[in-house]
Amino acid sequence: MSQPLLEVRDLSRRFGGLLALDRVSLAVQPGEIFGLIGPNGAGKTTLFNLISGVTPPSSGAVLWRGAAITGQQPHRLNRLGLARTFQNLRLFEGLSVLDNLLVPLQRHPRTSTAAGVLNSASHRRAERQRLDTAWQLLEELGLSALAERQAGTLAYGDRRRLEMARALATRPALLLLDEPAAGLNPAEKDQLCELIGALRQRHQLTVMIIEHHVPLLMRLCDRLAVLDFGVRIALGTPEEVRRDPQVIEAYLGTGTGGNAS
Amino acid sequence: MIEALLQTLLNGAASGGVYALVALGYTLVFSVLGVINFAQGALFSVGGYLTFLLMGGKIGVNGALPGWGLPEGLPFWLALLLAAAGSGLIGLLVERLAFAPLRRRNAEPLLALITSLGAGVVLVNLLQLLMGAEGYAFPQSTDALAGLPDVLVLGGARIRTIQLLLLLISAAAVLVLSLWLDRSKGGRALRAVAEDATTAQLLGIHSEAMVRLAFFLSGGLAGLGGGLIGVSVSLPGPYFGIGYGLKGLAVLVLGGLGSVPGAIAGGLLMGLAEALVPSSASGWRDALAFAILFGVLLLRPSGLLGRRTVEKV
Repeated sequence: MSQPLLEVRDLSRRFGGLLALDRVSLAVQPGEIFGLIGPNGAGKTTLFNLISGVTPPSSGAVLWRGAAITGQQPHRLNRLGLARTFQNLRLFEGLSVLDNLLVPLQRHPRTSTAAGVLNSASHRRAERQRLDTAWQLLEELGLSALAERQAGTLAYGDRRRLEMARALATRPALLLLDEPAAGLNPAEKDQLCELIGALRQRHQLTVMIIEHHVPLLMRLCDRLAVLDFGVRIALGTPEEVRRDPQVIEAYLGTGTGGNAS
Repeated sequence: MIEALLQTLLNGAASGGVYALVALGYTLVFSVLGVINFAQGALFSVGGYLTFLLMGGKIGVNGALPGWGLPEGLPFWLALLLAAAGSGLIGLLVERLAFAPLRRRNAEPLLALITSLGAGVVLVNLLQLLMGAEGYAFPQSTDALAGLPDVLVLGGARIRTIQLLLLLISAAAVLVLSLWLDRSKGGRALRAVAEDATTAQLLGIHSEAMVRLAFFLSGGLAGLGGGLIGVSVSLPGPYFGIGYGLKGLAVLVLGGLGSVPGAIAGGLLMGLAEALVPSSASGWRDALAFAILFGVLLLRPSGLLGRRTVEKV
């Protein structure tokens, strides 16, 4: 295998007396869709928080293309090419849909404040470029009709897609999706599945995805890791994970891959 | 009669503009951190004294360096600009000393009220130590206002030039700031941080840098107000900014916490209302100001243009 895009080594996080993550190791290969499943409280979101720099780990290391990035600030990690969405959406609700995208786009391309004050030609060109990118993303995620709306007024499914578009606007190499299908109806879940696949193709993404909806994950993911009480109990292709006796006991229950959410 | 009314309205709008500056300073910090920076009034004083010194004023006999001053005074415009920038830098220092340590430790945001109040007290006392408690009048040379006459005649009415400048400069500062917040990428980033600092950071925005920018701008606005009032009236003593700080706070609440148009509207309303109090009853000015505040809050608890509720506090 090639060098992993992201690797976590023996990552642990303690909250007071609770060991939320217990020496978890895994590696995500470039281009793959990597699923994370586990019962509520298994430490999935905690792992995302550690990777994206929201919470520092208690011990262990995070590597990006082989280099240690443990404990770096979120904006630095984002500039390396790491973006995420949240389980309970965190849009800039008071800003317009378009502005939600322009916030991350202000670094793509970068311009100096002085150029902005002088409204130089290069600055105007950059602004145009940002707007183009924003509209392209809105188009891609089916949000163009809503561009001027205030983000807080959007329907739930639209907000989910807007959050994804906003993460994509930072030009990530790795996109962390925290329960993107939560609250969506079955038809929307199917669409989301296709959307993620399409986005991976078009943006050369590597995706890490937390999801409770097991059939969706089985269909979408190249590989899966299973967390239970902060411990990684399984890792492999959907087939391998489905057959893992420990997983069946901890999570799938009946082992038929039914809807466990 | 008309002349008197025009002069009164101009006075009101001018002090209203200054109130709006102070209130906008509060608004910037409040929207980003959800707390009030109680050192704002002290930064107002700092701006006044810095402008005085930069324009060539000498330290009085009770100061730390009696008789000391710049050999050559700077022109009004430049002094004002530099004083505002200096107050902004001291605003940054207040952030570093009174806000950042609490934030790093995830302390209760309300605690910053106390630490910033403390920072304000320290600043005012430092001013007193350096400059003495006495009042200062600005050097009244003819070129103090860049060659403009002291009195202008507009439509038959004689008005003090400085009052007009006060209004124009505050209006310009408010306008530039609103445009910047609304249109520029820096303003957009600041608004994003105000909504959700962590998320903004996950999107590549250096949230801490934006917080510092907010403090710099906020201190700059207070300093600008202090300089303007100093030139227009005088510096009655190191505590003079505190009164304006409180008035700005009233304006902030009157207009609606966190609302930029609210701060402007509130400032103008407050200034005009005060100016309409006849000078024979000038002791009632503050009473009127706060009576208006009470009245508005009874009818609209979130202020004139405030949002429904403020979740951040």
